[in-house]
Amino acid sequence: MRTMECEYCDILSGKSKTQLIYEDDAVVVAAKDMAYTPGQITVFPRKHFTILEQVPDEVVSQCMIAAGKASQAVFEVFQAEGTNILIQNGLGAGQKVPHFAIEIVPRREGDKLNLQWQPKEISPDDLDITAHQLSEEVAKLGNFTAPKKKEEAKEKKKEEIVEKEKGENYLSKSLKRIP
Amino acid sequence: MPEPTEEQRKQWEEKIKNMSPEELQQLQKQQCIFCQIIAEKIPSKKVYEDSTCLAILDINPAVKGHILLLPKEHYAIMPQVPEKVLRHLSIVTKNLSQVLLKVARADGTTVFIANGAAAGQRAQHFFLHLIPRKAGDGIIPAEERLMGAEMALKVKTAIEKKLLMLLGGKKEIPREESKKEEMKEARVQPAPEQEIFVTSAAAKRYHKEKCAFAQNIPLENKVILSKEEAERSARKPCTCVSGKRIPLVKPDKTEQKNELKKAKPSKQKKEDKPKRAKEKASLDDIANLFR
Repeated sequence: MRTMECEYCDILSGKSKTQLIYEDDAVVVAAKDMAYTPGQITVFPRKHFTILEQVPDEVVSQCMIAAGKASQAVFEVFQAEGTNILIQNGLGAGQKVPHFAIEIVPRREGDKLNLQWQPKEISPDDLDITAHQLSEEVAKLGNFTAPKKKEEAKEKKKEEIVEKEKGENYLSKSLKRIP
Repeated sequence: MPEPTEEQRKQWEEKIKNMSPEELQQLQKQQCIFCQIIAEKIPSKKVYEDSTCLAILDINPAVKGHILLLPKEHYAIMPQVPEKVLRHLSIVTKNLSQVLLKVARADGTTVFIANGAAAGQRAQHFFLHLIPRKAGDGIIPAEERLMGAEMALKVKTAIEKKLLMLLGGKKEIPREESKKEEMKEARVQPAPEQEIFVTSAAAKRYHKEKCAFAQNIPLENKVILSKEEAERSARKPCTCVSGKRIPLVKPDKTEQKNELKKAKPSKQKKEDKPKRAKEKASLDDIANLFR
């Protein structure tokens, strides 16, 4: 699924001047000409997804892992003193390209880049209410750990079966030994 | 807390040097405020918790609904976090972001990670900020600047090798266009291959390349013919060419005999003989294998 005006999809079709650094069947790493600091690189999924919520779990994971590795590369190659990993998800968050992406921004002391928000004072009551609202909604979802548990349960069952088989084998063997 | 003196500092450094990795980890955990929050020694406003991670509300948030997502194990920066944990954190991040969009009625979310003090990291515990956003809220004040295409090229050349190494050295996938071309080539290539026939210098039949007879022709006698050449020559097509079936080695012998019979009246008989003997020997060898 490709939109006509997606800058990142254009990179893949070779239309853009953006430098493509790495790609595999799921993840693409590129260097854009727009950046917060020199040396910034961008990680995005090969397939077109506009926002984080549309990206399949497996692809999000692969992108994050690639971002971690890219962060390490930025540390080592550019001798950065820090990195910021930034996902701007949605127009309200300042997303410029309609294609989900993770930015890796190399940082140095005194680089004059201001990504830091102004912290707010908030009343404990307000915090309590927000926490309650959010955790209620999270509980409603409650599905993002469920598959794992199932897998674990399956594995456990398998183990049990194996153990049972072993037990039977042992029993039958010992029975055979009895004259 | 008063500033430690030089001596105290030195003592500390020596102590840390002599510590085992486990002891160091223990010390880090004692010193890390987020490890204490995870151990419930410091109260927090929990949003979500499972065996690998904990999501709490920031007590000095950028905006209402600002979540911190922490791995329960202590890692200082992102490159230290194992893939398995990152995988889980990204899935939880995705779901929490969805919840923020709904509950905080946000137009978007920002996921923010700071690695190192220069990037604005305040505590020695890796975590993700999840911030609900609204257009014009100014939470991330900076804007991207135009660095120019040259900069992008420099970045690529500098980092490419390292990144490929870290990501498992996978080769770049060719563009889809070139892929298509390759596909075309691949499709075109086998076609002329079918038109090629093989024969021996002295033989009176020609074969497809894959025919059992063709396999037995010694290299020095092998002659490759195009379809036209084969049809023009006096040689007859083998059953493999007419498409009946590719003969196995057994019927080959009868053909060989036929060839011998036909060859008898020819004048070239004497010249051909030694070559034939060679051919027959190699055929017999392979035929023996089948028995």
